[in-house]
Amino acid sequence: MKADGTIVARQLYKSFGHHEVLRGIDLSVSAGEISCIIGPSGSGKSTLLRCVNGLETVDRGVLRVNGEDFGYVESERAYHAVRPQRLAEQRARIGMVFQQFNLFPNMTAEGNVMSGPVLVKKIDRKVARERARELLAQVGLDGCGHKYPAQLSGGQQQRVAIARALAMDPSIMLFDEPTSALDPELVGEVLAVMRDLAHNGMTMLVVTHEMGFARDVADEVLFMDGGVAVERGDAREVLANPRERRTQEFLERVL
Amino acid sequence: MTTNTTGSTTGSQPLPELLPEHKKRITPKRPGDYVCWAIALAIVGGLVYTTVTNENYQWPVVFGYFTTESILDGLVLTLVLTVVSMGLGVLLGLVLAVMRMSHQAPISGLARLYVTFFRGTPVLVQLIFWFNIAALYPNVSIGIPFTDVSTPVDVNALMTPLTAAIVGLTLNEAAYMAEIIRGGFASVSRGQYEAADSLGMRGFTRLRHVIIPQTMPAVIPATGNQVIGMLKGTSLVSVLGVAELLNSAQSIYARTYQTIPLLIVASLWYLIMTMLLSVPQSMIERRFSRSTRRQAAVATATKESLL
Repeated sequence: MKADGTIVARQLYKSFGHHEVLRGIDLSVSAGEISCIIGPSGSGKSTLLRCVNGLETVDRGVLRVNGEDFGYVESERAYHAVRPQRLAEQRARIGMVFQQFNLFPNMTAEGNVMSGPVLVKKIDRKVARERARELLAQVGLDGCGHKYPAQLSGGQQQRVAIARALAMDPSIMLFDEPTSALDPELVGEVLAVMRDLAHNGMTMLVVTHEMGFARDVADEVLFMDGGVAVERGDAREVLANPRERRTQEFLERVL
Repeated sequence: MTTNTTGSTTGSQPLPELLPEHKKRITPKRPGDYVCWAIALAIVGGLVYTTVTNENYQWPVVFGYFTTESILDGLVLTLVLTVVSMGLGVLLGLVLAVMRMSHQAPISGLARLYVTFFRGTPVLVQLIFWFNIAALYPNVSIGIPFTDVSTPVDVNALMTPLTAAIVGLTLNEAAYMAEIIRGGFASVSRGQYEAADSLGMRGFTRLRHVIIPQTMPAVIPATGNQVIGMLKGTSLVSVLGVAELLNSAQSIYARTYQTIPLLIVASLWYLIMTMLLSVPQSMIERRFSRSTRRQAAVATATKESLL
């Protein structure tokens, strides 16, 4: 499918109670593109990311992922929520990496990576195990498959989490501040894996505070503040010569 | 010769030199330590003395009845009641806990109502209530709704003392287990649900493979306590005339008037069983305690993954 690996959002609105977190966000990621969302905390960037795979529901606006309306079907007058089974199918094609890793502590690294294919796709355990080993090797964790998350460092856990998401063969990978919970010396190993993924043509939407990563790897940067997209454009252009005052101020503070 | 940094051993019998970094550190025993021991020994000694010398304990009678057939039968029935009621109670408790977490308000409301009701009334009252339920519903028809297929059931005949005991203990236990299991669910972070969701897992799979295994550290130790509580709680059904351990002892002393010795027989058996149960319980507790999660993980690392 041509639309595989694309995200299109138009005029997204989302409130928690009376607090409007997303106020008319536009977003467009084409297949194979790396898009970074930056901005101060509370700007709504994590919420936007979480909307893209349905961890939060959207109040209003258009959200198309992989070329189809996400979580809802459009009728003449409204969007109707799809059945849980359909939502799960759509989610299974989007990989998500969390700030807090969220590995399953009751399973080994290999078990974590196998969990999606075996439990959701009902793939044969042997095949899934083989693939899990490959993926763990790909993220530099050859031979760590038998270890439990508690026995791994933060950086290793996050790489297992990336492998777990990749095991579902997603067409899009979402990263929600993947290095924010890591000790500074462990950030590099996770970013390296993400760079690898980017070079292999994965569509990636990354909420991050790592400006270096955004500058080196991202095609596009979206700067969010107060639930709106303040500035959006070519990554190097935005980071080097921001047009908007608020972007300038933010970058001065974090760089 | 090395320098003696303390410079204190220059007497007629020179002691072998000891460097300060090799010297033992000694904390002197305080008077309080001896007082505590004295008090404890006095209490235990007094208790032993009185149990041995007071003839009213009638120890020969105790040992005479300790392994009588009716006592052993009662013991077996106590164990059966414990296992059956506990097993059913855990299952029903799990159902209630899952209901309680439902996003459907009527479902979680029903579970809440159940827990409120069965936790809020004494189990002894519940047991007598179930035994007399026929007074409320003398005949019940079991059948398929909206069809003619149904069987009338005589509740009075159905509700034997033993059924009433199992029903009463199970329903009561379920209320407590529901709360324990709910606490276990609450101990699993939201991120675990989200991670499972993001992989496309759905309700039962997510529950069975991701969430429930993680509730175990919180649920298992508390359940162990419940088992011990249940074992002792079965003595309540003696009021229904179920011949479990206490009731068996009672029916002997009703004839012989050797009340105290037979209560001791029953107590000793309860004590033995709870002590036996506390061995696996403390093992399981160590295995699942939160602070040693890492070691627990190592312990299971040899096993095949839970998945």
